Amino acid sequence: MDVYTITVLANIALFSFLAISAWLLLLVGEISFGQQAYFAIGAYTGGVSTAVLQLPFGIALLMAIAAGGLFAGLVAIPAMRLSGLHFSIASLAFAELVRSVLNVFQYQRWVDGYLTGPDGVNGFRDIRWIYDAGIDPGTYFLMILGCLSVVMLGVVMASYGRGMTIVRSVGENRRLAAAQGMNATRVRIITASVAGAIAALGGTLYAHMATYIEPAQFGLMIGVHSLAYGLIGGMGTVFGPLLGVLIDIGALETLRIFSGYRMIFFGGLVALVLIMRPRGILDEATVAKVQRWLRG
Amino acid sequence: MLEIRDLRTSYGKIAALKGVALDIKDGGLTCLLGPNGAGKTTLIWTLAAILKAQSGSIRMDGEELIGAKPHQIVSKGIVTVPENRLVFPEMSVTDNLFAGAFSRRADKIAVAQDLEEVLQRFPRLRERANQDAGTLSGGEQQMLAVARALMARPKILLLDEPSTGLAPIIVEEIFEIIGALRDEGRTIFLVEQNANMALEYADDFYLLEQGLVTFGGKPGDVDHDELIQRAYLGTRKAS
Amino acid sequence: MVDFIQNTLDGIALGSAYALLALGFTLIFGVMGRLNIAYGPCIMIGVFAGAGVYSDLTQSIVMIFVATLAGTILASAYVERVSFAAIRADAALASMVSTFAVWMQLEEIVAHLFPARTYAFKELGHLSLIEAGPFFLRQESLFMLLVTLAVLLGLALVLGRSHFGLELRALTDSRRAAIISGINVRRIIFLTFLLAAMIGGVAGFMIAMSDGQVTPKFGLWATMKGLVAMVIGGLASLRGAVLGGMLLGIIEAQAQWYFGASVREILVYAILFAALILLPRGILGGPHTVWRS
Repeated sequence: MDVYTITVLANIALFSFLAISAWLLLLVGEISFGQQAYFAIGAYTGGVSTAVLQLPFGIALLMAIAAGGLFAGLVAIPAMRLSGLHFSIASLAFAELVRSVLNVFQYQRWVDGYLTGPDGVNGFRDIRWIYDAGIDPGTYFLMILGCLSVVMLGVVMASYGRGMTIVRSVGENRRLAAAQGMNATRVRIITASVAGAIAALGGTLYAHMATYIEPAQFGLMIGVHSLAYGLIGGMGTVFGPLLGVLIDIGALETLRIFSGYRMIFFGGLVALVLIMRPRGILDEATVAKVQRWLRG
Repeated sequence: MLEIRDLRTSYGKIAALKGVALDIKDGGLTCLLGPNGAGKTTLIWTLAAILKAQSGSIRMDGEELIGAKPHQIVSKGIVTVPENRLVFPEMSVTDNLFAGAFSRRADKIAVAQDLEEVLQRFPRLRERANQDAGTLSGGEQQMLAVARALMARPKILLLDEPSTGLAPIIVEEIFEIIGALRDEGRTIFLVEQNANMALEYADDFYLLEQGLVTFGGKPGDVDHDELIQRAYLGTRKAS
Repeated sequence: MVDFIQNTLDGIALGSAYALLALGFTLIFGVMGRLNIAYGPCIMIGVFAGAGVYSDLTQSIVMIFVATLAGTILASAYVERVSFAAIRADAALASMVSTFAVWMQLEEIVAHLFPARTYAFKELGHLSLIEAGPFFLRQESLFMLLVTLAVLLGLALVLGRSHFGLELRALTDSRRAAIISGINVRRIIFLTFLLAAMIGGVAGFMIAMSDGQVTPKFGLWATMKGLVAMVIGGLASLRGAVLGGMLLGIIEAQAQWYFGASVREILVYAILFAALILLPRGILGGPHTVWRS
């Protein structure tokens, strides 16, 4: 595979983390415009870990996951008391808050004769771990794919167990779920925390591939896109958000006929799907039908 | 005259009206009785076009009304006084009354005359003309809801359970108002749980049970006690 | 103390623009119970239309104003059709997401039609300051304040005296009672969108004039400022929107003076987040103005 193809595929995989993160919150019935905040937190945590603190890559991944999960959980504790529009606006406010804090965040040290680390609006360059370790783009893409598979496998396993049933029933009707003895608030906070951790994992993988990150990369539109992926792809299965990413990045961005007009098509597609299929292309009913057909 | 034939309405898969047929005659009070959950309020909301009828017909003087929008129903002169005194809580009593005349926007002088007339009929509303409707008592809100409907110059007035949740003495007062409106020759369709009170004023009545009209006639025609029992409890327990 | 008062004066002028943006949000939220996040981008279309007329056609301030207003109204009408009229009444969140989708489209349309990104807008001109003792007021601040007062007065007349105003208030107060009373809900919603677009167009015009230029960032900026002011003020309360706008302007002016621009940004979003959690009904929101979701 040439480098261009690998870059497109890697982008699809990286956006999938963000899309799955937003999709998980959709399942508990909340629309988050702010998952890019945890993507950014993961990118910065991971970058600082390897580039500034010189920690091993594995530790950096774990620290990013922990930071994403922790921040998302802390935000969710007050925010999950809100619902609907309130929650959505709060998620948006938090994401912009993170971005404006990163605009002034500085943490630089001398590493190998270079001043390295986040430097406010000027960004954070030289996150060079994969190049120092001699990993070629193809191999790194496989590593991203491996992480994504683990995440998706986790979600699929949860769908076969009790976990996903609880999450979905809390999303369907919070009061009813609570009446049946589920701690709806706790389920929502844990889901938010897991979603934050998944976004942060994607973020740190992204930072190491890009080697350069800056606060402006984690703007509102990234968050809205990742939310839209789940909404058009479908709520019924974890492949829904993946389908959304494939449609947008895989088809619209790479096909030349759409060049320069991608947002107009994608925006129109999202608007259309919301009118025709409010729960996405692979919605619950479709997924159930496919599953029945597969079983014969 | 309003002719309702084979009217069906459902909530998702649950049928609420299963082919209702009845007539509302001009210049009289037609009363619809029935136990809880029989579909009385569903019928009112369907007539007001807020719920969509699945099939059947609603004709006013021969004109089909199925498919019309709620505001078109009001401008044809079918005006609803909904259950639970639906007023505009954060608007003044006067603005609430003006709101009743939405369908006749052009007619400024006539609307002002009607406002005066309505305030004469309900002196208590005149005293509170500048108060927010949300601050009125339950009885006053019910009067306001009736008054607001009159501002639309209704050809047919649909009243949904006007006595619900009110003290007996207020209920008497409300029914006296309804009686007065009937005596003026207005066409009224009254849906009521309080069968005793309703039958006192009704010219015709129908009994709705489980989404179907099971019985109808004039109040003098039937055994009063049995009818009352069925109106409250339904057929099964009465037999 | 002198600084503080001077900042407050500057803040009120800036805040009056925020107040208009918050009013637009609040009017739409009031009749629909839904948010139009694309409100800022619609105004952006308007100010770019104004900038286009200014650079290619005429210097006439009236024509530029008309173009700004027309652009905003046209874009708003599109949003109303696609993201509100076409989506089921009970799907408030789908509507909100849909307005984001339309936002993407509007941004790309501007990127194609105005590739240089930053365009000059008719400037108010540098006029002298009005001084009073140690304080001064910029002419453009006075201009913003006066325009805002004129809009507020006009809005008060429309809402209080006109038939449409009564219908709008009725629909905001109780949707069900409004339907029962024979209001043509769809028509009033469409007209409210146009009214909000007009207010937004005026706000955009006066902000662009005082900046002397327009950029594609205007959409996000206007949406965020309007939203923050609306949330602080009390969600479905028009008075709250004005108050919230003023308050936001004053807070920003003080923060800018004492801590600088980056801290100002942080503070604004921190306040929005805190206000949502601590004061979910805003400072002027009553029991009836709870967000319906």
